[in-house]
This record gives sequence, structure tokens and C-alpha cells, in this order.
Amino acid sequence: MIKKTFKVPDMSCTNCAMKLESLEDTLEGVREINASYHKLQMTVEYDETRLTEEQIIAAVKKKGYQAIPA
Amino acid sequence: MSHKKQNQVIDPVVLLTLGILLVTIAIALGIVQSRSNAAGASSNPGTMSQIMMAFVTGLTTGGLSCLAVQGGLLASSLAHQIEQDYIEQAAQRKKPRGKKIESPPRPGAAFPILLFLIAKVVAYTLLGALLGLLGSYLTLSPLTRAILMILIGVFMLGNALRMFNVHPIFRYFSIEPPKFITRYIRRTAKGTDTFTPLFLGALTVFIPCGVTQAMMAAALGTGSLAMGAALMFAFTLGTSPVFFIVAYLTTELGSRLEKFFMRFVAAVVLILGLVTVNSGLNLMGSPLAFANLTRGLFPSASSSTSANSPRAANVPAGELVLYVENGGYFPQTLKAVANQEVTLNLVTDQTYSCARDFVIPALSYYELLPDTGTIRVSIPAQDKGTQLFFTCSMGMYTGMIIFE
Repeated sequence: MIKKTFKVPDMSCTNCAMKLESLEDTLEGVREINASYHKLQMTVEYDETRLTEEQIIAAVKKKGYQAIPA
Repeated sequence: MSHKKQNQVIDPVVLLTLGILLVTIAIALGIVQSRSNAAGASSNPGTMSQIMMAFVTGLTTGGLSCLAVQGGLLASSLAHQIEQDYIEQAAQRKKPRGKKIESPPRPGAAFPILLFLIAKVVAYTLLGALLGLLGSYLTLSPLTRAILMILIGVFMLGNALRMFNVHPIFRYFSIEPPKFITRYIRRTAKGTDTFTPLFLGALTVFIPCGVTQAMMAAALGTGSLAMGAALMFAFTLGTSPVFFIVAYLTTELGSRLEKFFMRFVAAVVLILGLVTVNSGLNLMGSPLAFANLTRGLFPSASSSTSANSPRAANVPAGELVLYVENGGYFPQTLKAVANQEVTLNLVTDQTYSCARDFVIPALSYYELLPDTGTIRVSIPAQDKGTQLFFTCSMGMYTGMIIFE
């Protein structure tokens, strides 16, 4: 398990953070996601053998946001 | 995918129909009530009669009165949802060409309004239960209410500035619920922003309007947990159709502005925030409140009465008369002699607005005046040049006494 932080500059409300955290339910290999609208960032704890950084960025993009590795 | 889930929320049209249905029920209840009054039931109202009276009061006067005070919170709650809808629509439009763009139907403003109202009804029912049980212990002083109003106003201003993207610091005005709550909400509501309208709806309990306060006093008088709860439940339910219809129609009209909608909502929240802060300042008796500032800068001869004016011809020396009317206080400016005690006569005549919830902040004087009658207030001697501000408990109607 590793923890990575991404900047998400286009979050515009707390509901955006909730939407990003909902990837916990759909993205295979994710243990926990903590997203913060205040800090415009999200921290993802995931199993690197089952999920890559690129896959996370793509999943975030699907939600309508841009994730930039911090 | 998340759009599909969001669209599973109750159809706004259904909700509007429910709102109209509530109005119809209320009218029917009103007719029943008037018949029972005609039969003399009002002289000794039973439990049901009291509850129906509370419902009809909520529907007729409480709805609009509460909307004036608590509308700001509802707007904040709606702004949150509308903002989210707009962002989602914009994100859909940004999708690259070639892909079939599915235009997501707007989840609607009805859902957050409904959540707001449910939270409000629940919160007031609980308050009614507590009032019935604990008596007057929970009554908030005007100063406490003023501070709360200012805090809520600042919260709204911060949110408006956040929506205008003025500075990153304003992001902190958006409440980030704890992770365990968001997880719970996500799994039950599937991403719909339910927390904000629920939270704000419950917050309205701290800013009751004048009519609500009268009903709270009635709940206190019941001395019963169940009756206090029933009374406040019926009253708050009665206010809900007006709240719902006005808020829903306002939101639907606003959505047609689409392009400028975000800024439009931010501007509305900004104005409501300013109004709320101003009401709080009025309730504190602050000379910085808008009405007090302008009254000092542009004194209007027609709105003032001194001991020598014709209207005060029959008033004994050392006494002042203030007419407390449904539209406010007349005259708005009274003049009194400095360095001597003054008696202020507060005259009501079928006054049912919040004007009868009378406050003189500097004297910590607070009284719910009878709807018809005269209340005498002794005002201690004041120095020359003193301006004593008075207001209703909502900070809506104001006036002042100048000592000279």
C-alpha cells in the first residue's frame, strides 16, 4: 500500500471532494481517498500492484477533474 | 453514472404538487378552524384546535415572515446545489467532440429545498419538545440572536466571495463535513449534496422570526413535551408550502439565466448576507447599521416627532408615544429631553407583525407586546446627544430616540 497526494485545482465546492472520494467505491485497489476542497487536493491510499497513478488520474478525469501528482 | 443516480431523486414536479397539496390541506384546515371558531370553540381551544391554529398561523403569516429571516440560509443551501448542477453541466459540455454528449437532466432545486424544510421541521419539533419540557431556559436573548445573525451573515458573505473566486481563503467558508459523515451520505445519497441543506435547515432554529417566537412562547406555555413538539411541528409544517413554492419558483426562474447563473446566485447570497449582517447590527443597536447611519445623515422631518410636534400635542411632558404598526414604528425618530427620565408608550392596534417583538438593545429591554394595547417603558435619563436605537427582534423595523 502506498499513499500519494494529487493537486486537484478545479474543485469548486465540498461536493467535488465527496465525488472524488466516491472513487473509493468504484476504483479497484483503492483503500482510502481523502479529498479536501479547502486544500484543493486529494490523498489516495492504494495497492500499487493493482492500480497505477495513471489509472487514478484517468478515473479523476472521468469525474470531470484534473489530478496533478503533488 | 453519478448523474443517473442523482436523477433518481424525487421529481421536482411531484414535490411542487406536494407543496400545492399542502396548501390545499391548509386551506381546508383553515375552513374547519373558522367553523369551529364560529361555534365558540376558540374561547376554550382544545388540543386539536391549538395545533390547527398553529398550522394556519404558519401558513398565513409565519411562512412569509420566516422566509424574510431564514431565506438567506435557504439561498445558501440552494446556491450549493445550483453551483454543483452548473459545474456538472459545464463539465459535460467540455467533453471532446466525437463522443456523444449526454446532456444530464438537471437534478432540480426541489431536493435541497425539501431537505432544508425537513431539517427545519425536525429541528423546530425538537425545539418545541424542549421548550415544552424545560420552560424558558432556552430563550435566546436579543444580543445572542444578533451575534448569531451577524455570524450567519458573515458566513453567507464569505460563501458569496468564494463563489466569485475572490481569494482562496474564502474556500474555508464552505463547510467540509467530517469524513465519516460524507461517507455515510455518499453511500445513502450517492453523491447528492444532502449535508448542506440539512445542516442549514437545522440552523434556522437559531434565527426564529417574530411569529415563530410567538409560537415558541406558546410552546413554552403548554408545559408538555408532546404538546410543545406538536405545536411547533404544526407551525413549521404550515410555513413550509410558502417556503417551498417561493424558493422553487425563484430557483427555476434563475436556472434560465444559465450563463450568468453562478454569479447571479453569488450576488443574491452576497445581498442576503449584507441584509443579515445589517439585521444583526440593528438588533445590537449599532449606529453602523444601514438604517441608523442613513437616519443620522439624512434626518427626515416627516418621520420624527418631538415633544412640540402636533402629533405629540396630547402627550404629557416627559412621555413619548411610539405607534407600533404592522409596517414598522411611527415615528421612526423620537426626540426627548436629555437628563431626565422619559416614559415611552408603545401603542399597538391589531399589530401582528414582528414589530411587536420590541427591543431596545442599549437597555437590554425586550418585550413581546400585546397585539392591541399600550405598554409603558421607563427610560432612564440620558445625556444630551444620546441616540437610543430600538428595533424589532428580527432587526427589520428600526427607529431611534434622540435626547436633546
